[in-house]
Amino acid sequence: MTRWKAVRLVAVREVVERLRSKAFVLSSAVSLVVVLVLAVLPGVLGDDDPQVHDVVVAGDGAAALVAVLDGIGATPGGDGVEAGLVDDAAEAERLVRDGEVDVAVVGGELVVRDDVDDALALLLQEAHRQVAGAAALAEAGVSGDVAARALAPAPLERRVLEPVDEDDTDREALVFVGTVLLYGQLVGFGYWVASGVVEEKSSRVVEVLLAKVDPRQVLAGKILGIGLLGFVQLVGFVALGLGAAAAAGSVELPPETVRVAAEVLAWFVLGFAFYAALFAAGGALASRAEELQSTTGPLTFVGLGSFFAAVAAVGDPSGVVARVATFLPPAAPMVLPIRSAAGELPLVELLGGVALVLVAVVAVVRLAARVYQGGALHLRGQLRLRDALRMGRG
Amino acid sequence: MLELLRVRKRFGDVVALDGLDLRVGAGRIHGFVGRNGAGKTTAMRIAVGLATPDEGEVRWRGAPITDDDRRRVGYIPEERGLYPKMAAQAQVAFFAQLSGLGAREASQAAARVLDRLGLAARAGEPVERLSLGNQQRVQLAVAMVPGPDLLVLDEPFSGLDPVGVDLLADVLRAEVERGAGVVFSSHQLELVERLCDEITIIDAGRVVAAGPIDELRAGRGGDRLRVGLEGGWTTWAHAVAHVRVVGVEAGEVVFELLPGGDDQEVLDAARRAGRVRSFRRELPSLAELFREVVPAGGSAAPLAGGDVRRAS
Repeated sequence: MTRWKAVRLVAVREVVERLRSKAFVLSSAVSLVVVLVLAVLPGVLGDDDPQVHDVVVAGDGAAALVAVLDGIGATPGGDGVEAGLVDDAAEAERLVRDGEVDVAVVGGELVVRDDVDDALALLLQEAHRQVAGAAALAEAGVSGDVAARALAPAPLERRVLEPVDEDDTDREALVFVGTVLLYGQLVGFGYWVASGVVEEKSSRVVEVLLAKVDPRQVLAGKILGIGLLGFVQLVGFVALGLGAAAAAGSVELPPETVRVAAEVLAWFVLGFAFYAALFAAGGALASRAEELQSTTGPLTFVGLGSFFAAVAAVGDPSGVVARVATFLPPAAPMVLPIRSAAGELPLVELLGGVALVLVAVVAVVRLAARVYQGGALHLRGQLRLRDALRMGRG
Repeated sequence: MLELLRVRKRFGDVVALDGLDLRVGAGRIHGFVGRNGAGKTTAMRIAVGLATPDEGEVRWRGAPITDDDRRRVGYIPEERGLYPKMAAQAQVAFFAQLSGLGAREASQAAARVLDRLGLAARAGEPVERLSLGNQQRVQLAVAMVPGPDLLVLDEPFSGLDPVGVDLLADVLRAEVERGAGVVFSSHQLELVERLCDEITIIDAGRVVAAGPIDELRAGRGGDRLRVGLEGGWTTWAHAVAHVRVVGVEAGEVVFELLPGGDDQEVLDAARRAGRVRSFRRELPSLAELFREVVPAGGSAAPLAGGDVRRAS
């Protein structure tokens, strides 16, 4: 039997048994709900939905005012305006008081209940000015095109010297959610690796297993199988999350969404190799699930620190924290896709960061293999790292 | 088939194995006997590759053992180990595949072995839901599913009920019939005596006796006679010349013939004393042999007798 076949068999068992495990399915379902909520919530709660303001007009010149309002149709803020005629001032006031309309224009007054949208008020003033102006010009014998030019000149065109990319905030939100996901998958599935290692120890099946298979093959199979699950799940989360966000109108997906998503997935692969190897070592040091807290504690701490560095990088992709974290292997997999998405990752720093992560992956995989060889068959009590390394030397 | 040669293993200050030799042949059942802490488990772990010897070597058919050879070995560890949440058949099939069988082949072999061990109806259940006895059967199924060349079984009979003991004994006989070698450790010396072709007795990491079990029994303590008189009369025995009275068991006198001793003289003496109801030659039991070669004392409790469980 080839080495690869043993690795594959171990990996397939990990995938199949985890898919059958209630704990795994449940935690995946919870993660999925969190992802969907994160994706949909801004769309549902978002207050930048265009509104429609209802306006009623009564009294002299009411019809003309309604016609002008219909012509304009929307406030500068993008909200719609619907104007209607009512018979008398009392009726108009009643509608405002009952909250059926936002504002009434009656006999030279803006009647509002408590307050009114500034943009709407400005719009009404403008419409009023046009109607009053038209009446004054007509009295003075000016009408037609001349009057129209005087009343509604061609609006000033806007020329923006330093345009703000409207995608920026959307992109930042996407990248932030992507970072949360990546962190969750790296640490979450890393922990699955650690608990998988310790389950085999506490159930003693590891002795049967290692009598057949080299420890390095077991380790490789376990990391590959669980990593594959984490990868597929991440692809699913990204696809469903983006789809749901787009459908709920939470964000407008920027054009580089696909590229950013692909980078996040690629960084998951590298980052998982790093974290999973260390989590496997943490599992090999424990003999029971309860001991995992202490053997993987430092690693969880490093993961959390890296996540905070990544959050800092979302806000300031070229800041000191982001640049330093680029060259720290535990943080780089989370920080680099953020800087890349923001377009603030110089090629040199990208290559340097990737190179360091690759070197670190090779180092931690070797370390993990040795710790696992030393610790996998140590079935009683927690093992110190130094002792595991000594025993794994043979 | 499998040889451990001059194997030494230390754990810190403790010498677990001190130049141990163990030879297990194809088509033979080999009993591995010794007090607790004598080094049996360590030797078996070294045989299956879970531990490496400090000195000495493990050979397979005359050459140093390889990983591929080890896939041809079925193993039951001292502490039983299975995946608790994995279905019995899937689990057995998984280990069959790790031993080199293809997926379909492994699945069929797993079903066949579980059926033979009487677990066909429970094959789809997670192991943790099976009784301890049935979990033991799954453990055995894992060891024997690939049709291994050698079975290395650490205390396979411990914890089995009489039905389980018989089933395991039958399975082991069938395995050696097929040509496999079997080595198992046990404190149940009557069982070892009944099942094994050869034994190795170790103490403090060294072999104190090894070889075909009948030769060992014949070679130690010499010929024995067991004589029973009607009424359980035994006092006549002290008058017989050239014999040593080993003891009186169940109303029968056990003699060991000394040089110059003659079984016919013993028979004559018995007939003079009363009506002879039984008269037969016998070899010393394994338990007696064990007591003879393994010094009593130390902190270990004596094993023979108390730990023996009758199979039927």
